[in-house]
Amino acid sequence: MGLFDKLAGWLGLKKKEVNVLCLGLDNSGKTTIINQLKPSNAQAQDIVPTIGFSIEKFKTSRDSLSFTVFDMSGQGRYRNLWEHYYKEGQAIIFVIDSSDKLRMVVAKEELDTLFSHPDIKHRRIPILFFANKMDLKEALSSVKVSQLLCLENIKDKPWHICASNAIKGEGLQEGVDWLQDQIRTMRT
Amino acid sequence: MSAAQIEQDNSMASSKWLDAHYDPVANLYTFSSCMALADLHGDGESKLVVGDLGTGTNNMKLRVYHGTGLLSENTLLDLPTGLVSFLMDQHEPRTPAIAVASGPFIYVYKNLRPYFKFTLPSLEINALEQDVWIQARQDMIDTMSLKEMLEGIRDKAEIPLSVRSLRFLMLEPQDMEAFVNLHKEQPLRRQTVITCIGTLNKNMADEDAVSCLVIGTENKDVFILDPEAFTILSKMSLPSVPTMMDVTGQFDVEFRITVACRNGNIYILRRDSLQPKYCIELSAHPVGLVRMGKNVVVGCAQETLQGYTQKGKKLWTVYLPAPVTTMGVMDLPTRGFQAVLVALASCEVHVYRDKNLVSTIKTPDVVTSICFGRYGREDGTLIMTTKGGGLIVKILKRTAVFEDRDSAPGPPLAQSIRLNVPKKTKLYVDQTMRERENAVAMHRAFQMDLSRLRLAAARAYVKALESSLAPMSASITEPLKMNAVVQGLGPSFKLTLNIQNTAASRPVMNLAVCFLFDEGLYSMRTAFFKIPLLVPGLNYPIDTFVECLSDKGISDIIKVFVLREGKSAPLLTAHINMPVSEGLPLN
Repeated sequence: MGLFDKLAGWLGLKKKEVNVLCLGLDNSGKTTIINQLKPSNAQAQDIVPTIGFSIEKFKTSRDSLSFTVFDMSGQGRYRNLWEHYYKEGQAIIFVIDSSDKLRMVVAKEELDTLFSHPDIKHRRIPILFFANKMDLKEALSSVKVSQLLCLENIKDKPWHICASNAIKGEGLQEGVDWLQDQIRTMRT
Repeated sequence: MSAAQIEQDNSMASSKWLDAHYDPVANLYTFSSCMALADLHGDGESKLVVGDLGTGTNNMKLRVYHGTGLLSENTLLDLPTGLVSFLMDQHEPRTPAIAVASGPFIYVYKNLRPYFKFTLPSLEINALEQDVWIQARQDMIDTMSLKEMLEGIRDKAEIPLSVRSLRFLMLEPQDMEAFVNLHKEQPLRRQTVITCIGTLNKNMADEDAVSCLVIGTENKDVFILDPEAFTILSKMSLPSVPTMMDVTGQFDVEFRITVACRNGNIYILRRDSLQPKYCIELSAHPVGLVRMGKNVVVGCAQETLQGYTQKGKKLWTVYLPAPVTTMGVMDLPTRGFQAVLVALASCEVHVYRDKNLVSTIKTPDVVTSICFGRYGREDGTLIMTTKGGGLIVKILKRTAVFEDRDSAPGPPLAQSIRLNVPKKTKLYVDQTMRERENAVAMHRAFQMDLSRLRLAAARAYVKALESSLAPMSASITEPLKMNAVVQGLGPSFKLTLNIQNTAASRPVMNLAVCFLFDEGLYSMRTAFFKIPLLVPGLNYPIDTFVECLSDKGISDIIKVFVLREGKSAPLLTAHINMPVSEGLPLN
């Protein structure tokens, strides 16, 4: 980063851009969460399973961070695409379907693969977990989800889990605020 | 490859599966034939449908699982013998129906609600039996004569008795009257029961095509039913009662039904043939039957797994470490992987690709039913139920790789590498010709030499016995046995002779021991001494000391003779190989 860029950053002239990876199993609600975070006039009505990945850009309301979100497909056959974007990602949003008890092990397995990848392993990259679908009656609590995913073992990265209901948009802002704080502290 | 890397590879290999769910008290008792995975609601999430056998007499249930929980439960009237899911029609949404075979009926469920009940056509009744029951109805005969007449029919009639008559014959005399009064008014029927059930696509090869039900009956018949009207489209007969079947193809085009029968044979039926086309005669009864592409894999009661072509030619046999409990097919079309799952009585599930063992799964209990496919949203899910009523769900890892080579210990790879055998030389060919022509003469020469060798050996042995060179005395008057032990590092050794009189009762007297050795090398305090009276059976240790005189690290043999007083020929001889003296002699 050149001197002028830094200067522009301090003066608040340049918009701060952040690349965020949105990961998680299929049908966990990644696209729905991203859709909710977009301004209401840009939101899509129907959410269909993502093929490959899609890129969404939006600004957060509180300050001038500009998010570029890589909304990856969670389907098994596209999950091997994830690792190609690890390098660019400056933050990760990991979405979990907290009503799918059976596939919690699969989510954990994908998370372990993520953490053992050389592009992620040694970086202090903030990770935000959404324990999604909290409205369903068979949903596990966010504490239970973090237990099942063994999140307490993450020592070298800042992480945060929040319960969410992406369809109504509940809990999303709390998570995004945390992510913004983390990104800001990392930059200064 | 470093040790750590190998370790990592091993741990990777052992964990191809994720443990998604284990409920040891699911109270689910079933077999592979009563398990199916189906997208019952058309929402893209497959459910597990199980015909639960309950205790075997009651509590039979049709259970549907979704994720880790039970979704619904329907009571079944009788024990289920088979359960399949199939698409009946082209209507949207494409939700499959469930067919449960039980007794002579097939209960069809749609949207988990009873939809249709199919009954097997009744069979011809023995005319004599019919007459006897008509007489019983009109009270013309009493129960005892009814019993006698039915027994007579049972023993020689060509058409077997109906279930009612057979049950009547089983009763105790005091119960017979009530049984006859209860049943005599109803018309007599003879019905067979369903033993196995399968599905066959009607006219399309697609996964979601409309399919017919294929059923095997106790009456040695195979029926193919229309998917919508449940009429019998085709009927085929077998030489024995079918127990397991596998169906492939399309009804309107060409199909193949592979049926394992109770007589231990496997028959292969095809379209346009009322009789089996091919027959595989197994050496032991089949326990599991699975089709892999065009081949048939059979698990036999003799702890073997055998592969056959679709024409009944045997391809291979694998010997298993334990009896087979059940078998299933593992099909992953997205990865192009197909394998056979074999559950063993040793609480293991082996995954075989052809005859190669590619993976082993340990289970906490003996697996009685196994099923692989899409469950929930996960394609590679393995579902097992155990003998104790447990339910195990495992998910294949996305990164799991099955190696093609055999992971079981077997002949090393080098064994199958072809050796570079040199070409046959003229000399070799000449020798072969000579051997072929003079085979008899060569054999005789060999036999002659062998006999001579034996003779020479026997002669040497006799000579040794005659001259008492052996440490066992052969003479009848003095049967003696001796062995010698040398102790010490040198230069002085302790020599212990253990002498035993092996006679039954006679003691031996007047014996002496004499040593013969190189006097330049060894010295002995007493090279000759007498032996006391030897009582039969006891072991007499005699000690003496030998001094080694040389410091050159050489050793020699010391000969021990046991002599009888007044006779120069020894009774027995022992050669003692002295050890090399490790110490230096004191001057």
